[in-house]
Amino acid sequence: MSKNIRNFSIIAHIDHGKSTLADRLLEYTGALSAREMTEQVLDSMDLERERGITIKAHAVRLLYKADDGNDYILNLIDTPGHVDFSYEVSRSLASCEGVILVVDASQGVEAQTLANAYLAVEHNLEIIPVINKIDLPSADPEKTKEQIEDAIGIDCSDAILASAKEGIGTKEILETIVKKIPPPSGDDKKPLKALIFDSWFDNYLGVIVLVRVFDGKISPNKKIKLMANGKSFEVSQIGIFSPKIKPVDNLSAGEVGYIIAGIRNVTDTKIGDTITDADIPTEEPCPGYKDIKPMVFCGLYPTTSDQYEDLRDALNKLRLNDSSFIHEPETSLALGFGFRCGFLGLLHMEIIKERLEREFNLSLLSTSPTVVYRIIKTDRNVLYIENPALLPEKYDLIEEPFVVATIFVPKDFIGPILDLCQEKRGIQKSFNFIGKDKIKVEYELPLSEILWDFYDRLKSLSKGYASLDYEFIGYRESNLTKLNILLNGEVVDALSLIVHKDKAYHKGRELAEKLREIIPRQMFEVIIQAAIGNKIIARETVRSLRKDVLAKCYGGDITRKRKLLEKQKEGKKRMKQVGKVELPQEAFLAVLKVK
Amino acid sequence: MKADCLYIHIPFCIKKCLYCDFFSVPYDESSAKRYSDALCIELILKKDSINTLKTIYIGGGTPSLLLEECLKNLFKCLRDNFNLLPDIEITIEINPGTINKSKLNTILSLGVNRLSIGIQSFNDTDLIVLGRIHTSLEAKNLLEMIRKAGIHNFSIDLMYGIPGQTMDSWQNSLSKAAEFSPPHISTYELTLEEKTPLCKLIKSGEVRMPDEELILKMYNHTIDYLSSSGYEHYEISNFALSGFRCIHNLNYWDRGEYIGIGAGAHSFINEVRSKNTEDINAYIECLNNKIIPKAESTKITPLDAVKEFIFLGLRKREGIKIAKFKELRLNILNICEDLIDEGFLEIERGYLKLTRKGIVISNTIIVKLFGRLRLDS
Repeated sequence: MSKNIRNFSIIAHIDHGKSTLADRLLEYTGALSAREMTEQVLDSMDLERERGITIKAHAVRLLYKADDGNDYILNLIDTPGHVDFSYEVSRSLASCEGVILVVDASQGVEAQTLANAYLAVEHNLEIIPVINKIDLPSADPEKTKEQIEDAIGIDCSDAILASAKEGIGTKEILETIVKKIPPPSGDDKKPLKALIFDSWFDNYLGVIVLVRVFDGKISPNKKIKLMANGKSFEVSQIGIFSPKIKPVDNLSAGEVGYIIAGIRNVTDTKIGDTITDADIPTEEPCPGYKDIKPMVFCGLYPTTSDQYEDLRDALNKLRLNDSSFIHEPETSLALGFGFRCGFLGLLHMEIIKERLEREFNLSLLSTSPTVVYRIIKTDRNVLYIENPALLPEKYDLIEEPFVVATIFVPKDFIGPILDLCQEKRGIQKSFNFIGKDKIKVEYELPLSEILWDFYDRLKSLSKGYASLDYEFIGYRESNLTKLNILLNGEVVDALSLIVHKDKAYHKGRELAEKLREIIPRQMFEVIIQAAIGNKIIARETVRSLRKDVLAKCYGGDITRKRKLLEKQKEGKKRMKQVGKVELPQEAFLAVLKVK
Repeated sequence: MKADCLYIHIPFCIKKCLYCDFFSVPYDESSAKRYSDALCIELILKKDSINTLKTIYIGGGTPSLLLEECLKNLFKCLRDNFNLLPDIEITIEINPGTINKSKLNTILSLGVNRLSIGIQSFNDTDLIVLGRIHTSLEAKNLLEMIRKAGIHNFSIDLMYGIPGQTMDSWQNSLSKAAEFSPPHISTYELTLEEKTPLCKLIKSGEVRMPDEELILKMYNHTIDYLSSSGYEHYEISNFALSGFRCIHNLNYWDRGEYIGIGAGAHSFINEVRSKNTEDINAYIECLNNKIIPKAESTKITPLDAVKEFIFLGLRKREGIKIAKFKELRLNILNICEDLIDEGFLEIERGYLKLTRKGIVISNTIIVKLFGRLRLDS
């Protein structure tokens, strides 16, 4: 039976048309009727919430009758579309035998096209190149093919020309999936071995786990074991998404579906873990499991202390659905009680922050993002710090995380991009032409340099054309030091930074200057100082507020003047009082604006 | 409840001053006549809300533009329909260039006992920048006329912070005013209002506002100079010799009730603040049909009442009686401790007041207090 199954993903750079193509496939195979069809079904959060779990189906079973007369089961496994989630992408790909590589015919190959394609190559997947958006006037399919061949080294002579938007090429893609992607192998008789590639918490059903079964069979009432933590659960329901949730009697080797097993905590079902039979376990788990660690940290604080409990509840709720971010209570002298939160990357951080503010109606203040530093203490013990304020006075060595960054850029913009990488302490690893006018460069860079203004500047230096992907490569010793900011003589811990020594002086000066622009005038003078150790390297003054008074207020003015004062009060709401000084949110992110 | 303070608005001007965003229209005799008839109708319609009167204030616009017969009719209507306290304060605003001896005598004969004179400056350059219609000579002549008429209760309005004004020219205006020994002086910082011609001139860069530090110096100098000349600084912008404070205006800062009559006039009664329509024709039309032309009205919530109480009360230099906060169930001392420690507020003889250091940034301080308001239930 498994010879009629095809497991595949669609991979693409952001906005190259992945979601639209998925919609077309669902529509063409009749998985959703035209009436049920809403634009970009697999992608929409609001829809997910509205329709419950039918749509949060990151694996959809499509039924397709091919031109050869046979019926096929096509399992479309969705992949998260951002660089921060490359591990999740790799687990989704590990569940497939092939991928559709979608490339925008006018944009050509971009950084994530390549990153995703390399992942597919690593997993020995059949790659079906699809040149999308050929209906656009600026489309250049030949150039795009040339770029794919150059960059990835796959033959594009029979790449499919498509327009997901216009429905061009949909059938050809389905036929090619059937013909080119091999059916899954695996043995029903062997002990159960299933790979978790997604899981989430549902209020009614508990944790729902998406799996690809490699060996054996799974059916309700079976006792299963999660190999990473050894916990056992009894299966209560299994099924597939069509994309409507549909229970089935069993899932066997080669199939993709969901498992519900009374699991309460999404942290138990780590992506990449293997599910096996609790009684007759498999000998070897699926390869490639990693306990993924957050790379980027920031402090999140409520602007008013009465929202602390609400923030804690909100973080706990978000965590139910996202085991990749972590939070721990933290206390800052300046900001009071809050949480140190860790994220997979900057985008992940932005998403969580936005959801906290939007869905939970919180007013938050975040400190500037930081990486995790590795400190070798004088007693040779190793310490990881996620908050610059915690850097000890004395240590033997400090190391910072490095990444290898891959940048794609049209050749006209390469000069300033190379300068930028240089400025950010980058070490060039490769430089290649992709096609005639695109260049791929690889740099080893400290992750911290990417956190700050790197991406924005990359985009502005290339008029938006450059794309970036990066991967963690390890810790390296660096010449780093702590830069403190003092307000009226007091160190504000939430403004402390760890910076490269060669840049500390310049950064301190610029940061103090930025803060002077950002901090509004207050009832008293505010002295801003930047210090390295005990040495003050910059000093700026925010003059005290001199005049803020209503010249007159008589019988006809009272309501208008009250509203004026209330408006002034509203403006202060997002300010955080640090000691006596009121700081706006921008003050904590000022460092991001410093070159 | 009935109010014992009455405000009558006369929205006519010969020409709008460049800085003014108050509601006013160009004067024409026939509409002014119809308007003053309408005022009388409104007075009668509001009869039930008006008690024996303690103050009447005729403001504008330029009330001194009204014809003598209009003024006479208005006062006849007042005296026919209302009781006036024997020591009632009746103020009218007058502007140089709009009043002669005969009109002045008529005004006095009607019982007006306080004049508020819109002098603004004794420096002709300032007057041009402000777009006033009069010269400093006309101002002096008017004050001379008032002196000769034996009027002793009058107030002079002056302005500082005018583009081009120097410390010397401001001092000149202050001393010239003092020469006429007015028992009351109002000194207003020129406030740049959106959409006024002056604001446009500033934005286009043709004219520059004086430096903030200079304005502050002018303000502080005003307080020192007038205090040393025997004036009490009794409100942020008001100075008076003993016994000459403006009772009508004090009522606003005490959050007292008042009835306003006229287009665009405001009233405050039974915790409702309301405003008449500003459209003069609509105003007249409504009243001819015996309808009060109310344009908007807002019920003041207890929290808003406390806010008003604070920001209005702190305008008075004596401040707010602490006992009053207890009536409002507000523990004021809890929320202003640090501001007292830092010298922005102080407590004197049972009153909470702004210090000299506090006045100039009073908005900031009030806004801080607003943010801390928690009413005990």
